[in-house]
Amino acid sequence: MTGERSLSYLPQDRSFALFTDHLARQSVRGSVAELTGQDLRVARNWRSSVTEPWVLELGEEVEGYGTFRFPYGPFSMGVPEAGTFEIVTYGERILEVLPGFGQKPRGILGSLPGLPLEDAALRVERLAGPYSASHASAFLFATEAAAGTPLPSLEAHVRAVAQELQRVYNHLHVLARLAEAASQNVGQAQTHALAEDLLRLASRHFGHRWLFGALLPRGPSRHLEPSDRSGLARSLSGLGARFEALWELFQGSRTFVDRLQGTGRVTRSQAVMWGAVGPVLRASGVPWDDRLRDPSPPYRDLFLPLAHQSEGDALARTLVRVEEVRSSLLLLEQLLDRWPGGGTIDPAPAVAPGRGLARCEAPSGDLVWDVRVRDGKVLEAGFRSPSQANWPLFALACRQSVFTDFHFTLESFGLSFAETDG
Amino acid sequence: MPSWIGQAFRRGILTSRFPRAPASREEVPETSRPPVLPPGLERIAVLGRAADDCPTGAITADGLYHGRCIRCARCTRQGFTFGGRALANASRPEDLYSPGGGPLPERLGPAPLAGLGRSLQLFLVDAGSCLACNREVLALANPYYDAARLGITFVNSPHHADVLVVVGIPTRPILEPLRRAYEALPGPKAVLAIGACALEGGLFRGNPGTQAPLYETLPVDLFVPGCPPSPLDILAGVLTLAGRMKCLPGVPA
Ligand code: SF4
Ligand code: SF4
Repeated sequence: MTGERSLSYLPQDRSFALFTDHLARQSVRGSVAELTGQDLRVARNWRSSVTEPWVLELGEEVEGYGTFRFPYGPFSMGVPEAGTFEIVTYGERILEVLPGFGQKPRGILGSLPGLPLEDAALRVERLAGPYSASHASAFLFATEAAAGTPLPSLEAHVRAVAQELQRVYNHLHVLARLAEAASQNVGQAQTHALAEDLLRLASRHFGHRWLFGALLPRGPSRHLEPSDRSGLARSLSGLGARFEALWELFQGSRTFVDRLQGTGRVTRSQAVMWGAVGPVLRASGVPWDDRLRDPSPPYRDLFLPLAHQSEGDALARTLVRVEEVRSSLLLLEQLLDRWPGGGTIDPAPAVAPGRGLARCEAPSGDLVWDVRVRDGKVLEAGFRSPSQANWPLFALACRQSVFTDFHFTLESFGLSFAETDG
Repeated sequence: MPSWIGQAFRRGILTSRFPRAPASREEVPETSRPPVLPPGLERIAVLGRAADDCPTGAITADGLYHGRCIRCARCTRQGFTFGGRALANASRPEDLYSPGGGPLPERLGPAPLAGLGRSLQLFLVDAGSCLACNREVLALANPYYDAARLGITFVNSPHHADVLVVVGIPTRPILEPLRRAYEALPGPKAVLAIGACALEGGLFRGNPGTQAPLYETLPVDLFVPGCPPSPLDILAGVLTLAGRMKCLPGVPA
């Protein structure tokens, strides 16, 4: 129900998030029966029986003298994606922003049931290209949990390398977009160049710029030979040094810092109440990162400094991302250094039906995949992406801001419409 | 005291030499080249096996339709290699068909914007993409590709654009805005379809709520296959539209 005065966010979404949060307290991945101690039917019923939509009520002042609604999109300047925004305003100030998701759905989730895992994985990757490694990893971990396939540590290791590479890429992309919004032309160009370097590294070592086809149910397409690993480690350390030089300049730029400071603030209680995830959550004073709670290798065995800030504004989110670029580079160094031995995955599909759930920390936050499989085929699948979790927070952060803040708020959240595809 | 200018100088010149020199392997990686069946293999048997395996139906018993290929590399198990002609594009979908799975013939499409001189304005529209195509298009502005050196820039309104660059599979609700955006372009104008999704729907062809192919909605002038195509694939497409690709420089072997 998208009523006149409210906006519903994907009806089953809130319930699903609560459910998975409940599970998260116990473990990071496993079959649902294992995690809840309940039988599968309960879990399924639970999901379908909750129909109450997640509704963001418009604030009080939204109707009044001189206010009007201003549609923005789907091909809007500065938002290189097909989404719409309905902006309620009386001019200068934004009273409310209602993002609209109607333009984008490509029916991907609906097309998964009945597909062999291999084919399904190709579609999952292409749900949101820049986050393909996270989606593919979470999806595969979920199918493996469902089928009860034991996971060799080499697979998990390669997935972690792919995810961390993409995290660095995406954080740099956000930084570049912020620089663009603040007219920092040299900074923007140089940051985009660094991001391009990462795409080229991915292409050289994983065979694809966006890591499509790099992580598959039968094991990753490439296993990073020793020469690959040393080459990758060398390139990354050079990249880290260039990033530091660049960030020093950003920090020294008054224009850049001023534009971000105090922009699009999310308070701690908002973040907790609305279930924010990722850098948005960590920038609002909640030090939560799925990677730190992962009970299995490789993350269990790695040193990961947790980035967090308490201001909750665009600057805090940017600082968190910058810290995470550093920590991801550190993780990559450790991952490449401590390479596990062992073989690849045993592709024998489990015949018995099972349902599995996995979460991982995608670049913009907690990502959950929930998959039912049988005979190596998908029976049913669902996900909760970080964008779905964070869109309401974006709407809240825009309240009472001014038009010129819009892009800074949007970019600092790192949201995508593609990931809301139900 | 560090400065932006100093920083930029320290990085040196990154920009590609394309189209003056052929693209390098770094710029057009293997997976941005079309799959091809090397000569000497038992074609009929290989095509049959690969057709069963191909997730998009790009391979049939008779040949390979590059418009559907998402470069997933699955057919390399049957003997295909990513050795096809780099930077391939076509002005008609049927030109992307290679009977028997061999290399695509070299064809230079007509250049609808040949009269526009050295300046081209692009307007990017997303019909329903996974974002990878969008970012590859926008990568043309980064220092590695620096399309501005060739007079190619991005504009924020269709009213100022010469080329409508479309990425992604058209979803039903986007059809009307797409048509309106196309109408808003002043003539002479062209439509450039980027990526498997914008060609035939790629992996998502036939999904409920989508309406592929794009060429039934808009008069597409040039198709650039790939999933996603590399930035140089896209640049080559733009230059082809403008009649500025005299020959198609390949990748050094
Ligand atoms: S690479 Fe293309 S032709 Fe080969 S299997 Fe994949 S989609 Fe089919
Ligand atoms: S063609 Fe491939 S990369 Fe481009 S939007 Fe479609 S799925 Fe994404």
